[in-house]
Amino acid sequence: MSVVLGYVATLGVYFCIYNIFAFGLNIQFGYAGILDFTVITFMAIGGYIAGVAVLPPEQRGTEIFYVLGWNLPWPIALLLGMVAAGLLGFLIGLVALRRLRSDYLAIVTLASGTIVYDVINNYNKLFDGAAGLVGVPQPYTSVFGVNPNTYTWYFLAVSAVIMLVCWYVANRIYSSPLGRTMRAIREDMDVAEAFGKDAFRVRMLAMVIGCMFVGLGGVLTIAYVSALSPAGWTTGETFVIWAALIVGGKANNWGAVVGSFLVAVLFNEATRFLPAIPGSPNLVSDIRNMCIGGMVIVTLWFRPQGVVPERKARFPQLPVRGATTPVSVAVGATGGAGSAG
Amino acid sequence: MIAAGGNGRSPGARTLLSVEGLVRHFGGVRAVDGASFTIEEGTISALIGPNGSGKTTTVNLIAGALRPQAGRVAFDGVDIAGRLPHQVAGHRLIRTFQISREFAAMTVLENLMVSPLHQSGERLWNVLFRPGRYRAEERAHLEQALAVLDEFGLYAKRDDYAGNLSGGQKRLLELARAVMAEPRLLLLDEPMAGINPALTDRVAEHVLRLRDAGVTFLLVEHNLEIVERICDHVVVLALGSTLATGTMAELRQDEAVVRAYLTGGGA
Ligand SMILES: Nc1ncnc2c1ncn2[C@@H]1O[C@H](COP(=O)(O)OP(=O)(O)OP(=O)(O)O)[C@@H](O)[C@H]1O
Ligand SMILES: [Mg+2]
Repeated sequence: MSVVLGYVATLGVYFCIYNIFAFGLNIQFGYAGILDFTVITFMAIGGYIAGVAVLPPEQRGTEIFYVLGWNLPWPIALLLGMVAAGLLGFLIGLVALRRLRSDYLAIVTLASGTIVYDVINNYNKLFDGAAGLVGVPQPYTSVFGVNPNTYTWYFLAVSAVIMLVCWYVANRIYSSPLGRTMRAIREDMDVAEAFGKDAFRVRMLAMVIGCMFVGLGGVLTIAYVSALSPAGWTTGETFVIWAALIVGGKANNWGAVVGSFLVAVLFNEATRFLPAIPGSPNLVSDIRNMCIGGMVIVTLWFRPQGVVPERKARFPQLPVRGATTPVSVAVGATGGAGSAG
Repeated sequence: MIAAGGNGRSPGARTLLSVEGLVRHFGGVRAVDGASFTIEEGTISALIGPNGSGKTTTVNLIAGALRPQAGRVAFDGVDIAGRLPHQVAGHRLIRTFQISREFAAMTVLENLMVSPLHQSGERLWNVLFRPGRYRAEERAHLEQALAVLDEFGLYAKRDDYAGNLSGGQKRLLELARAVMAEPRLLLLDEPMAGINPALTDRVAEHVLRLRDAGVTFLLVEHNLEIVERICDHVVVLALGSTLATGTMAELRQDEAVVRAYLTGGGA
């Protein structure tokens, strides 16, 4: 019984983490229309940086190399991971968001992600290369107890709280004038600029915030599994997050939740626990990938807006001012009757 | 319904926009080649010329969508040539596009709510930590947007997706959205293209009404009858440079203008 419960709790943790990934990608793509084809890179950076911040200094004489090794407490490591992911997003954004249209932008993000992957995978002084980080201490085992099953439940509770904070922030941005401007830029960047919107600034904001979300998900990942290696964040993992958002419905965080549950948890994670078929060890994972790909195709074919489409903006109902009221137009530098109070 | 153009506006009032020797070539195409003109505050000016004479390119150069290769654009005394589109718009110099470009997947009302410049709710810090700062502003914008929609006859459509509007409604939305930005100068690129005559008259009325409220206009327009009716001043472009300026009545006497229009070429 406790094994089943532990399994459910583990899926719950993944559900929370994938929600955070999907919110992050939603801010980038669903809100601002940025084709970030290297989402998983930011998860990895967040995870690695948090990992090496928590780990003790590398031991001489062992063949394990990594940077930092600062023995920091988890909350600080978490912040560092988020900031590192945001910083990488900023650097990639500097190249990708300048004047690049969507398709070139996608290529730049993909290329940048590949470069980061190759550097981390091949240069073992950063995060121990292809071997990756192992034995990252789980947070607060002394407080929550070392029994793996109860610990998972505690971890789930913490992840859920963090996920809800992300949910709140993402929705707060969506319904703000900032979110509205992001969507306007997504719809037509030139027109938004003609209305005084600094598309570069706003898209950079969306990029960096999204990357910080994804980085945060990466921190939770490494905190939970205590290890991270390049084999765990191949380009295919980016596709899983994209699939979740597309199937669930972009530009709606409920869509991100539904998509994370269907794609990331049900198909991607739950099937990992199925026993391998003797003689064809890759069969289960291949079938899983085919199912996810199939779901994306079916969605794009029959319901391109996703299971939970973007909602129409609602505004409070106000009476219209009398038709006799003259239009309020600012003249000169004095500002108009209609400007903000 | 429609008042005659040039109703008592004194010529030689304050210059709001001055364009001098504007140049923009595309490879061998001399799209804009030394265009020069000025626009007085509070007037409606027309920018006319044959197809391909560089009108849209001129609008793009003024609005910062294209960088001029030479020339000066002064708005209210400030040189804005080469500034980025959002910087130009920040001076309350707002342009519309020759083809309607609504934010299709946003509602009509939202399209208008995007317009106000320098919204404090566009700052992340305010969004996350000080939402009270922009709530009042947002409400004021909402009231203003509803009033503008009402004036443009789009109130009933406020919650429809802008992409679902008819062609004529999209033209009205384009103008309504520009009005929401509280412009000082509006550059309208063929606001009446492809709409029926009744709607053309309505757009003309809106332009006159807004002019009376203090907005200055530069109108790219092919319909000379409309130009004659509402414009105080006309600039004729041919082959990317200013062929003539004056009132429509004066230009009708100008042989070079007549020739440019009849032959589609320059003098
Ligand atoms: N981006 C561009 N690249 C190359 N040539 C261009 C570009 N934009 C405009 N042109 C050329 O510059 C010339 C002027 O074009 P422009 O669109 O300014 O004309 P217009 O006066 O607005 O015409 P219309 O009345 O048909 O709208 C045309 O010959 C056009 O083909
Ligand atoms: Mg044109």
